[in-house]
Amino acid sequence: MNTILQEIEAQIAGVKTSATRQNVGIVREIGDGVARIVGLSDVMMNEMIDFGQGTKGLALNLEEAEVGAIVIGDYTSIKEGREVRTTSKLLQVPVGKGLLGRVVDALGEPVDGKGPVKTDAYYPVEKIAPGIVKRRPVNQPVQTGIMAIDAMIPIGRGQRELVIGDRSTGKTTLCVDTIINQARLNRAAEEAGDSAYRPLYCIYVAVGQKRANVARIISVLEEAGAMPYTIVVTASASESATNQYLAPFAGCAMGEWFMDNGMDALIIYDDLSKHANAYRQVSLVLKRPSGREAYPGDVFYLHSRLLERSARLNEKYGNGSLTALPIIETQLGDVSAYIPTNVISITDGQIYLETDLFYQGVRPAISVGLSVSRVGSAAQVKAMKQVAGRIKLELAQFRELAAFAQFGSDLDAKTQAQIERGKRIIEVFKQPQYSPVPLEIQIAILWAVQNGFFDGVAIDKMKERQRQVAEYLVHRKSDLMSKIRREATLSDGMIAELKAALAEFAESQP
Amino acid sequence: MKIPPQARRQAKQLLRLCMVNGALDDNRIRTLVRDFLTRQPRGFLQVLVHFKRLVQLEFDRRLARIDSAVPLPPSLQAAFQAHLTRQYGPGLQFRFTRNPALLGGVRVQVGSDVFDGTIHAHLEELRESF
Repeated sequence: MNTILQEIEAQIAGVKTSATRQNVGIVREIGDGVARIVGLSDVMMNEMIDFGQGTKGLALNLEEAEVGAIVIGDYTSIKEGREVRTTSKLLQVPVGKGLLGRVVDALGEPVDGKGPVKTDAYYPVEKIAPGIVKRRPVNQPVQTGIMAIDAMIPIGRGQRELVIGDRSTGKTTLCVDTIINQARLNRAAEEAGDSAYRPLYCIYVAVGQKRANVARIISVLEEAGAMPYTIVVTASASESATNQYLAPFAGCAMGEWFMDNGMDALIIYDDLSKHANAYRQVSLVLKRPSGREAYPGDVFYLHSRLLERSARLNEKYGNGSLTALPIIETQLGDVSAYIPTNVISITDGQIYLETDLFYQGVRPAISVGLSVSRVGSAAQVKAMKQVAGRIKLELAQFRELAAFAQFGSDLDAKTQAQIERGKRIIEVFKQPQYSPVPLEIQIAILWAVQNGFFDGVAIDKMKERQRQVAEYLVHRKSDLMSKIRREATLSDGMIAELKAALAEFAESQP
Repeated sequence: MKIPPQARRQAKQLLRLCMVNGALDDNRIRTLVRDFLTRQPRGFLQVLVHFKRLVQLEFDRRLARIDSAVPLPPSLQAAFQAHLTRQYGPGLQFRFTRNPALLGGVRVQVGSDVFDGTIHAHLEELRESF
């Protein structure tokens, strides 16, 4: 009883009894989550406004006589004539480690039924990206666990790498694999007490996705034990366009907290095509002038200001980083559409997934010719550079020769050998979903392919042989594997050991 | 009615012509509207509709509404007028109204600015905090 009385006393003491100045307006029109308000003469751009009864809004259009605002949350209870107040605050979301393992909406409110989020830090949803002085070049790798990416299209901490492709080509799976691999690495470092390892926390932002899909991804992450290192921000297809527009910015604010506090984070925007559609809807209802494909004129700025917030900070500013993997869905492989070209030009490279490759059984269906990482080998460990340096070139040569070989069967021995090697490289890069490969195994397998250890294996037996070699190395040569992982380079001694181990394995085979 | 940009621009020009010392002049408004209706230039109806809206907004901006639970004595009303004129400049229209729902205290609104010191507002604030 005493505590209730104390609570009431505290609430009463918190109420101001003096009259304070407030700036108010009146709702003139409301519909589709957008309100037009008369008054609010002091309102600022992107300021949060209070509709009363716990409903908030965001002022987006400051016109001569009116203010256009988006309503965050349920707008059905707002009627014409309702009084609206300015708050002098920017829209904020909770940030911090308390959000790890949680599923939240675009405002940071939990939607997983696990109770309130335990954090007392808040970040504004819209923030200016770090300046040039604060940044440093990207040179630390993000190990995705996907051989084709880690070997040929390396991603660095602080990079923005676009994942682009048609529907059902494995874009989300690729990103979920990356999250699972980070969780595996983080957990391994925690268990080994490796203080030098910088854990990479992940934020998955689902924009305009079906709720069933989001639930499936969450269950995959839970099964893989990745949720303790992951935040899921969701604005599903059934939520208002305003929430879908805000979700990536909210997720980015959560990632920025890790970066500003000297930690590393990875954010996945799934996907920015739907985000652009949501923004188009909001803009059209706000009666902003429309441009190409009815998108507003600032749709480029929408994505550039979001993706520019991903950065690698220098030592003076904590050495943190925020890596972004935006996803774009193309229509019939058309990468020259408006939004895809915008995001391609903003990011530091793209991973292009092809439908044809996917149905040929090449999964992940990464098109090596069209995929590129502008950071390049700066974001690779030395051992990977040693083994993967020539892979992309060999694959390109293989493609050219394979096309040429279709017209005739009389090929010289060297060309035959190149084609056979290429086929084996393609087989090596095939990988089942949700099973990332550790870096040291990737290095050993690639070294084995490059040095002809798989040349005698039939193409249809390649995956099985690769699995056997990986198992052999993990169980029988764990010392060598941990040495490669630790030193991240292939010395002459290690190469000799690896050669001996592979020869030993070959002998043991019937 | 859809107002084209040209009509908006013209309405704004008319509004500027009706200003004397930063406040709207009723006589000028009357003269201008009468002249406009007589001449009936192209798109005059749209211009006048938008002009009416701008005048309404300008009046609202310069209107000081003072609501209280009980009628305010003339001395207090004069004090309010003097204080608000000092703060917002000359040309304010004052409207004193009695609203028993406020329970006590005074609510002053000038344009979009509100100073709410009523018991009703404090109770609302308390209710929201619970």
